[in-house]
Amino acid sequence: MGGQPMQVYEVFRREREGGPMQHAGNLLAPDMELACHYAREFYGRRQESVRLWIVPRAAIRDLDDPDLLQPPFDRSFKKPVGYSTEIKAKLATARSRAGQEGESR
Amino acid sequence: MTTGDPTTTVDQFDAGTRQALANLLLAMADDEFVLGFWDSEWTGIAPLLEEDVAFASLAQDEIGHAQALYQLLAELEGGDPDEIAFGRPPEAYRHARLLDHPRTDWAFSVARRFLYDTADAARLDALAASAYAPLAGVVAKMRREETYHLLHMHAWLERLATGGEEPRARLVAALERLWPDALCVLDGIDGDDLLVEAGVLAEPLAEVRGRWLAGLAPELARLGLPAPPAGPGPAGPCRGPDHGDDFRWLWEQFTMVRRSDPEAVW
Repeated sequence: MGGQPMQVYEVFRREREGGPMQHAGNLLAPDMELACHYAREFYGRRQESVRLWIVPRAAIRDLDDPDLLQPPFDRSFKKPVGYSTEIKAKLATARSRAGQEGESR
Repeated sequence: MTTGDPTTTVDQFDAGTRQALANLLLAMADDEFVLGFWDSEWTGIAPLLEEDVAFASLAQDEIGHAQALYQLLAELEGGDPDEIAFGRPPEAYRHARLLDHPRTDWAFSVARRFLYDTADAARLDALAASAYAPLAGVVAKMRREETYHLLHMHAWLERLATGGEEPRARLVAALERLWPDALCVLDGIDGDDLLVEAGVLAEPLAEVRGRWLAGLAPELARLGLPAPPAGPGPAGPCRGPDHGDDFRWLWEQFTMVRRSDPEAVW
Protein backbone atom coordinates (compact mmCIF):
# COMPACT_ATOMS: atom_id res chain seq x y z
CA MET A 1 0.00 0.00 0.00
CA GLY A 2 3.05 2.24 -0.24
CA GLY A 3 2.88 2.93 3.49
CA GLN A 4 -0.43 4.77 3.10
CA PRO A 5 -2.13 4.93 6.48
CA MET A 6 -5.52 3.28 6.72
CA GLN A 7 -8.44 5.65 7.14
CA VAL A 8 -11.92 5.18 8.52
CA TYR A 9 -14.78 5.75 6.07
CA GLU A 10 -18.40 6.12 7.16
CA VAL A 11 -20.95 4.56 4.83
CA PHE A 12 -24.55 5.63 4.28
CA ARG A 13 -27.04 3.60 2.29
CA ARG A 14 -30.42 3.98 0.62
CA GLU A 15 -32.45 0.81 0.80
CA ARG A 16 -34.96 1.67 -1.91
CA GLU A 17 -35.68 4.51 -4.33
CA GLY A 18 -37.21 7.47 -2.53
CA GLY A 19 -35.99 6.31 0.89
CA PRO A 20 -33.64 8.28 3.14
CA MET A 21 -29.87 7.86 3.24
CA GLN A 22 -29.17 6.15 6.55
CA HIS A 23 -25.94 5.41 8.36
CA ALA A 24 -24.91 1.83 7.59
CA GLY A 25 -21.58 1.53 9.41
CA ASN A 26 -17.91 2.11 8.74
CA LEU A 27 -14.82 0.45 7.38
CA LEU A 28 -11.06 0.83 7.03
CA ALA A 29 -9.41 1.42 3.67
CA PRO A 30 -6.15 2.91 2.38
CA ASP A 31 -7.91 5.22 -0.09
CA MET A 32 -11.29 6.26 -1.48
CA GLU A 33 -11.24 3.82 -4.42
CA LEU A 34 -10.85 0.73 -2.24
CA ALA A 35 -13.22 2.26 0.33
CA CYS A 36 -15.89 2.30 -2.39
CA HIS A 37 -15.17 -1.36 -3.24
CA TYR A 38 -15.36 -2.38 0.40
CA ALA A 39 -18.52 -0.35 0.98
CA ARG A 40 -20.08 -2.24 -1.89
CA GLU A 41 -19.02 -5.54 -0.30
CA PHE A 42 -20.17 -4.65 3.20
CA TYR A 43 -23.41 -2.82 2.45
CA GLY A 44 -24.38 -3.69 -1.11
CA ARG A 45 -23.39 -7.17 -2.18
CA ARG A 46 -26.67 -8.74 -1.08
CA GLN A 47 -28.69 -6.26 -3.18
CA GLU A 48 -29.71 -4.47 0.03
CA SER A 49 -28.89 -0.97 -1.26
CA VAL A 50 -29.65 1.14 -4.33
CA ARG A 51 -27.19 3.92 -3.41
CA LEU A 52 -24.21 4.34 -1.10
CA TRP A 53 -22.43 7.45 0.20
CA ILE A 54 -18.85 6.90 1.31
CA VAL A 55 -17.40 9.67 3.46
CA PRO A 56 -13.95 9.89 5.05
CA ARG A 57 -14.54 10.21 8.78
CA ALA A 58 -11.96 13.03 8.72
CA ALA A 59 -14.43 15.06 6.60
CA ILE A 60 -17.06 14.88 9.33
CA ARG A 61 -17.30 17.81 11.78
CA ASP A 62 -17.92 16.33 15.22
CA LEU A 63 -20.10 18.46 17.50
CA ASP A 64 -20.88 17.37 21.05
CA ASP A 65 -20.64 20.61 23.09
CA PRO A 66 -23.33 20.38 25.83
CA ASP A 67 -23.62 24.20 25.91
CA LEU A 68 -24.85 24.00 22.33
CA LEU A 69 -26.73 20.74 22.45
CA GLN A 70 -28.02 20.43 26.04
CA PRO A 71 -28.96 23.95 27.29
CA PRO A 72 -29.60 24.10 31.06
CA PHE A 73 -33.05 25.79 31.18
CA ASP A 74 -36.36 24.09 30.48
CA ARG A 75 -36.80 24.26 26.72
CA SER A 76 -39.66 21.79 26.46
CA PHE A 77 -41.76 24.46 24.72
CA LYS A 78 -39.33 24.20 21.81
CA LYS A 79 -40.20 20.55 21.38
CA PRO A 80 -43.15 19.94 19.11
CA VAL A 81 -43.52 16.54 20.70
CA GLY A 82 -43.85 18.20 24.14
CA TYR A 83 -46.56 20.50 22.83
CA SER A 84 -48.53 17.71 21.22
CA THR A 85 -48.18 15.52 24.33
CA GLU A 86 -49.66 18.32 26.42
CA ILE A 87 -52.52 18.83 23.96
CA LYS A 88 -53.26 15.10 23.99
CA ALA A 89 -53.32 15.05 27.79
CA LYS A 90 -55.73 18.01 27.91
CA LEU A 91 -57.91 16.39 25.28
CA ALA A 92 -57.99 13.12 27.21
CA THR A 93 -58.99 14.93 30.40
CA ALA A 94 -61.73 16.85 28.59
CA ARG A 95 -63.04 13.68 26.99
CA SER A 96 -63.12 11.77 30.22
CA ARG A 97 -64.91 14.68 31.90
CA ALA A 98 -67.45 14.83 29.06
CA GLY A 99 -67.94 11.06 29.29
CA GLN A 100 -68.54 11.21 33.02
CA GLU A 101 -70.98 14.09 32.58
CA GLY A 102 -72.80 12.09 29.93
CA GLU A 103 -73.17 9.15 32.29
CA SER A 104 -74.38 11.34 35.15
CA ARG A 105 -77.33 12.67 33.13
CA MET B 1 -17.52 -9.22 -34.27
CA THR B 2 -20.49 -10.88 -35.87
CA THR B 3 -23.83 -11.23 -34.19
CA GLY B 4 -25.44 -14.63 -33.95
CA ASP B 5 -29.07 -15.32 -34.74
CA PRO B 6 -30.69 -15.55 -31.29
CA THR B 7 -33.39 -17.90 -32.54
CA THR B 8 -30.86 -20.66 -33.13
CA THR B 9 -31.67 -23.76 -31.10
CA VAL B 10 -29.35 -26.55 -30.18
CA ASP B 11 -31.21 -28.96 -32.52
CA GLN B 12 -29.91 -26.95 -35.46
CA PHE B 13 -26.29 -27.70 -34.50
CA ASP B 14 -24.52 -30.64 -36.08
CA ALA B 15 -22.78 -33.17 -33.83
CA GLY B 16 -19.39 -31.44 -34.14
CA THR B 17 -20.76 -28.01 -33.22
CA ARG B 18 -22.67 -29.46 -30.32
CA GLN B 19 -19.52 -31.14 -29.02
CA ALA B 20 -17.59 -27.88 -29.40
CA LEU B 21 -20.28 -26.05 -27.42
CA ALA B 22 -20.03 -28.67 -24.68
CA ASN B 23 -16.22 -28.25 -24.68
CA LEU B 24 -16.59 -24.48 -24.34
CA LEU B 25 -19.12 -24.68 -21.50
CA LEU B 26 -17.07 -27.23 -19.57
CA ALA B 27 -13.83 -25.25 -19.98
CA MET B 28 -15.48 -21.99 -18.87
CA ALA B 29 -17.29 -23.62 -15.95
CA ASP B 30 -14.15 -25.39 -14.74
CA ASP B 31 -12.12 -22.15 -15.05
CA GLU B 32 -14.59 -20.28 -12.84
CA PHE B 33 -15.01 -23.19 -10.43
CA VAL B 34 -11.32 -23.81 -9.81
CA LEU B 35 -10.44 -20.11 -9.54
CA GLY B 36 -13.28 -19.69 -7.04
CA PHE B 37 -11.89 -22.48 -4.88
CA TRP B 38 -8.29 -21.27 -5.03
CA ASP B 39 -9.23 -17.71 -4.10
CA SER B 40 -11.50 -18.88 -1.28
CA GLU B 41 -8.27 -20.15 0.32
CA TRP B 42 -7.65 -16.51 1.34
CA THR B 43 -10.69 -16.45 3.61
CA GLY B 44 -9.51 -15.44 7.07
CA ILE B 45 -5.94 -14.61 6.04
CA ALA B 46 -6.21 -11.82 3.45
CA PRO B 47 -4.04 -8.72 4.06
CA LEU B 48 -6.86 -6.78 5.74
CA LEU B 49 -10.31 -7.64 7.04
CA GLU B 50 -12.09 -5.57 4.39
CA GLU B 51 -10.15 -7.28 1.59
CA ASP B 52 -10.86 -10.64 3.18
CA VAL B 53 -14.58 -10.00 2.73
CA ALA B 54 -14.09 -8.61 -0.79
CA PHE B 55 -11.89 -11.45 -2.06
CA ALA B 56 -14.15 -14.13 -0.56
CA SER B 57 -17.11 -12.42 -2.22
CA LEU B 58 -15.34 -12.44 -5.59
CA ALA B 59 -14.55 -16.12 -5.13
CA GLN B 60 -18.20 -16.85 -4.34
CA ASP B 61 -19.25 -14.99 -7.49
CA GLU B 62 -17.05 -17.31 -9.57
CA ILE B 63 -18.61 -20.40 -7.99
CA GLY B 64 -21.99 -18.89 -8.87
CA HIS B 65 -20.91 -18.40 -12.49
CA ALA B 66 -19.64 -21.98 -12.57
CA GLN B 67 -22.99 -23.21 -11.27
CA ALA B 68 -24.85 -21.40 -14.06
CA LEU B 69 -22.47 -22.80 -16.70
CA TYR B 70 -22.62 -26.39 -15.35
CA GLN B 71 -26.41 -26.02 -15.47
CA LEU B 72 -26.22 -25.05 -19.17
CA LEU B 73 -23.99 -28.03 -19.83
CA ALA B 74 -26.39 -30.36 -18.02
CA GLU B 75 -29.28 -29.00 -20.11
CA LEU B 76 -27.27 -29.59 -23.28
CA GLU B 77 -25.80 -32.99 -22.50
CA GLY B 78 -28.07 -34.34 -19.80
CA GLY B 79 -26.85 -35.12 -16.30
CA ASP B 80 -26.75 -33.36 -12.97
CA PRO B 81 -24.80 -30.06 -12.53
CA ASP B 82 -23.53 -31.08 -9.07
CA GLU B 83 -22.36 -34.41 -10.42
CA ILE B 84 -20.47 -32.63 -13.22
CA ALA B 85 -18.96 -30.16 -10.75
CA PHE B 86 -17.92 -32.59 -8.01
CA GLY B 87 -18.17 -36.09 -9.45
CA ARG B 88 -15.21 -36.20 -11.82
CA PRO B 89 -11.65 -37.38 -11.19
CA PRO B 90 -9.00 -34.58 -11.29
CA GLU B 91 -7.81 -35.50 -14.79
CA ALA B 92 -11.32 -34.91 -16.22
CA TYR B 93 -11.31 -31.20 -15.32
CA ARG B 94 -10.74 -28.86 -18.27
CA HIS B 95 -9.69 -25.61 -16.57
CA ALA B 96 -6.75 -23.71 -18.04
CA ARG B 97 -3.35 -24.46 -16.53
CA LEU B 98 -3.24 -20.89 -15.16
CA LEU B 99 -5.50 -22.37 -12.49
CA ASP B 100 -3.16 -25.27 -11.67
CA HIS B 101 -0.99 -23.05 -9.44
CA PRO B 102 -1.66 -22.85 -5.70
CA ARG B 103 -2.67 -19.65 -3.90
CA THR B 104 1.02 -18.80 -3.17
CA ASP B 105 1.36 -15.16 -1.93
CA TRP B 106 -0.98 -12.20 -2.23
CA ALA B 107 0.77 -10.68 -5.24
CA PHE B 108 0.57 -14.05 -6.99
CA SER B 109 -3.17 -14.40 -6.35
CA VAL B 110 -3.76 -10.81 -7.49
CA ALA B 111 -1.65 -11.32 -10.64
CA ARG B 112 -3.48 -14.54 -11.50
CA ARG B 113 -6.92 -13.06 -10.92
CA PHE B 114 -6.00 -9.96 -12.93
CA LEU B 115 -4.84 -12.09 -15.88
CA TYR B 116 -7.83 -14.40 -15.61
CA ASP B 117 -10.48 -11.71 -15.22
CA THR B 118 -9.21 -9.64 -18.14
CA ALA B 119 -8.95 -12.74 -20.39
CA ASP B 120 -12.39 -13.89 -19.29
CA ALA B 121 -13.82 -10.44 -20.04
CA ALA B 122 -12.53 -10.72 -23.63
CA ARG B 123 -14.10 -14.19 -23.86
CA LEU B 124 -17.44 -12.93 -22.51
CA ASP B 125 -17.36 -10.06 -25.04
CA ALA B 126 -17.15 -12.66 -27.80
CA LEU B 127 -20.17 -14.51 -26.36
CA ALA B 128 -22.43 -11.55 -25.54
CA ALA B 129 -24.28 -11.80 -28.86
CA SER B 130 -24.16 -15.60 -28.99
CA ALA B 131 -26.65 -17.40 -31.21
CA TYR B 132 -27.06 -19.90 -28.38
CA ALA B 133 -29.57 -17.84 -26.37
CA PRO B 134 -29.21 -19.67 -23.02
CA LEU B 135 -25.48 -18.92 -23.06
CA ALA B 136 -26.02 -15.28 -24.11
CA GLY B 137 -28.36 -14.91 -21.13
CA VAL B 138 -25.87 -16.29 -18.61
CA VAL B 139 -23.05 -14.24 -20.15
CA ALA B 140 -25.06 -11.02 -19.82
CA LYS B 141 -25.41 -11.63 -16.08
CA MET B 142 -21.76 -12.64 -15.69
CA ARG B 143 -20.56 -9.48 -17.42
CA ARG B 144 -22.46 -7.28 -14.98
CA GLU B 145 -20.69 -8.91 -12.03
CA GLU B 146 -17.34 -8.95 -13.79
CA THR B 147 -17.48 -5.14 -14.10
CA TYR B 148 -16.75 -4.91 -10.39
CA HIS B 149 -14.21 -7.76 -10.46
CA LEU B 150 -12.25 -5.90 -13.13
CA LEU B 151 -12.35 -2.60 -11.22
CA HIS B 152 -11.10 -4.34 -8.11
CA MET B 153 -8.27 -6.19 -9.83
CA HIS B 154 -7.11 -3.11 -11.76
CA ALA B 155 -7.04 -1.26 -8.42
CA TRP B 156 -4.87 -3.94 -6.81
CA LEU B 157 -2.54 -4.29 -9.80
CA GLU B 158 -1.90 -0.56 -9.69
CA ARG B 159 -1.27 -0.59 -5.92
CA LEU B 160 1.14 -3.51 -5.96
CA ALA B 161 2.96 -2.11 -9.00
CA THR B 162 3.44 1.31 -7.40
CA GLY B 163 3.40 0.37 -3.72
CA GLY B 164 7.10 0.06 -3.00
CA GLU B 165 9.93 -2.34 -3.68
CA GLU B 166 8.70 -5.60 -2.20
CA PRO B 167 5.10 -5.62 -3.51
CA ARG B 168 6.35 -4.65 -6.95
CA ALA B 169 9.06 -7.33 -7.00
CA ARG B 170 6.56 -9.99 -5.97
CA LEU B 171 4.05 -8.83 -8.58
CA VAL B 172 6.62 -8.83 -11.37
CA ALA B 173 7.83 -12.32 -10.39
CA ALA B 174 4.24 -13.60 -10.34
CA LEU B 175 3.42 -12.14 -13.76
CA GLU B 176 6.58 -13.58 -15.29
CA ARG B 177 5.73 -16.99 -13.90
CA LEU B 178 2.05 -16.87 -14.90
CA TRP B 179 2.11 -15.30 -18.38
CA PRO B 180 2.75 -18.49 -20.39
CA ASP B 181 -0.10 -20.24 -18.57
CA ALA B 182 -2.45 -17.24 -18.76
CA LEU B 183 -2.48 -17.53 -22.56
CA CYS B 184 -4.21 -20.90 -22.06
CA VAL B 185 -7.41 -19.26 -20.79
CA LEU B 186 -8.11 -18.39 -24.42
CA ASP B 187 -6.93 -21.66 -25.90
CA GLY B 188 -7.38 -25.41 -25.65
CA ILE B 189 -11.05 -25.58 -26.60
CA ASP B 190 -11.50 -27.88 -29.59
CA GLY B 191 -13.90 -26.74 -32.28
CA ASP B 192 -13.96 -23.00 -31.66
CA ASP B 193 -13.98 -22.50 -35.46
CA LEU B 194 -17.25 -24.47 -35.62
CA LEU B 195 -18.70 -22.25 -32.90
CA VAL B 196 -17.79 -19.16 -34.91
CA GLU B 197 -19.45 -20.66 -37.98
CA ALA B 198 -22.63 -21.35 -35.97
CA GLY B 199 -22.68 -17.84 -34.50
CA VAL B 200 -22.16 -19.09 -30.94
CA LEU B 201 -18.79 -17.33 -30.64
CA ALA B 202 -18.07 -14.04 -32.41
CA GLU B 203 -14.47 -14.83 -33.37
CA PRO B 204 -11.93 -17.67 -33.00
CA LEU B 205 -10.20 -17.87 -29.59
CA ALA B 206 -6.85 -16.89 -31.09
CA GLU B 207 -8.41 -13.59 -32.14
CA VAL B 208 -10.05 -13.12 -28.75
CA ARG B 209 -6.61 -13.67 -27.24
CA GLY B 210 -5.09 -11.05 -29.55
CA ARG B 211 -7.78 -8.53 -28.59
CA TRP B 212 -7.23 -9.25 -24.86
CA LEU B 213 -3.45 -8.75 -25.12
CA ALA B 214 -3.78 -5.60 -27.23
CA GLY B 215 -6.17 -4.17 -24.65
CA LEU B 216 -3.77 -4.88 -21.76
CA ALA B 217 -0.63 -3.56 -23.45
CA PRO B 218 -1.04 0.17 -22.58
CA GLU B 219 -1.68 -0.52 -18.88
CA LEU B 220 1.25 -2.93 -18.58
CA ALA B 221 3.51 -0.44 -20.35
CA ARG B 222 2.35 2.44 -18.12
CA LEU B 223 3.10 0.42 -14.99
CA GLY B 224 6.31 -1.06 -16.44
CA LEU B 225 5.08 -4.62 -15.88
CA PRO B 226 6.10 -7.74 -17.84
CA ALA B 227 4.47 -8.14 -21.25
CA PRO B 228 3.21 -11.52 -22.49
CA PRO B 229 5.72 -13.86 -24.14
CA ALA B 230 6.04 -13.33 -27.89
CA GLY B 231 4.87 -16.08 -30.21
CA PRO B 232 1.72 -17.44 -31.78
CA GLY B 233 0.23 -18.87 -28.59
CA PRO B 234 0.79 -21.11 -25.59
CA ALA B 235 3.11 -24.09 -25.83
CA GLY B 236 2.10 -27.48 -24.45
CA PRO B 237 -1.28 -28.78 -23.33
CA CYS B 238 -3.53 -26.01 -21.96
CA ARG B 239 -6.35 -27.83 -20.19
CA GLY B 240 -5.09 -31.04 -18.67
CA PRO B 241 -5.52 -33.95 -18.38
CA ASP B 242 -2.48 -33.72 -16.07
CA HIS B 243 -3.12 -30.78 -13.73
CA GLY B 244 -0.32 -31.58 -11.25
CA ASP B 245 -0.15 -32.15 -7.51
CA ASP B 246 -1.38 -28.72 -6.39
CA PHE B 247 -4.66 -29.14 -8.23
CA ARG B 248 -4.98 -32.69 -6.96
CA TRP B 249 -4.72 -31.30 -3.40
CA LEU B 250 -7.40 -28.68 -4.14
CA TRP B 251 -9.61 -31.32 -5.77
CA GLU B 252 -9.35 -33.45 -2.64
CA GLN B 253 -10.39 -30.43 -0.57
CA PHE B 254 -13.40 -29.42 -2.63
CA THR B 255 -14.70 -32.95 -3.23
CA MET B 256 -14.05 -34.17 0.34
CA VAL B 257 -17.56 -33.72 1.70
CA ARG B 258 -19.29 -35.13 -1.34
CA ARG B 259 -16.98 -38.16 -1.50
CA SER B 260 -17.78 -38.93 2.13
CA ASP B 261 -21.40 -39.65 1.09
CA PRO B 262 -22.13 -39.21 -2.63
CA GLU B 263 -25.78 -40.21 -2.17
CA ALA B 264 -26.53 -37.63 0.53
CA VAL B 265 -29.44 -35.29 -0.12
CA TRP B 266 -28.83 -31.63 0.77
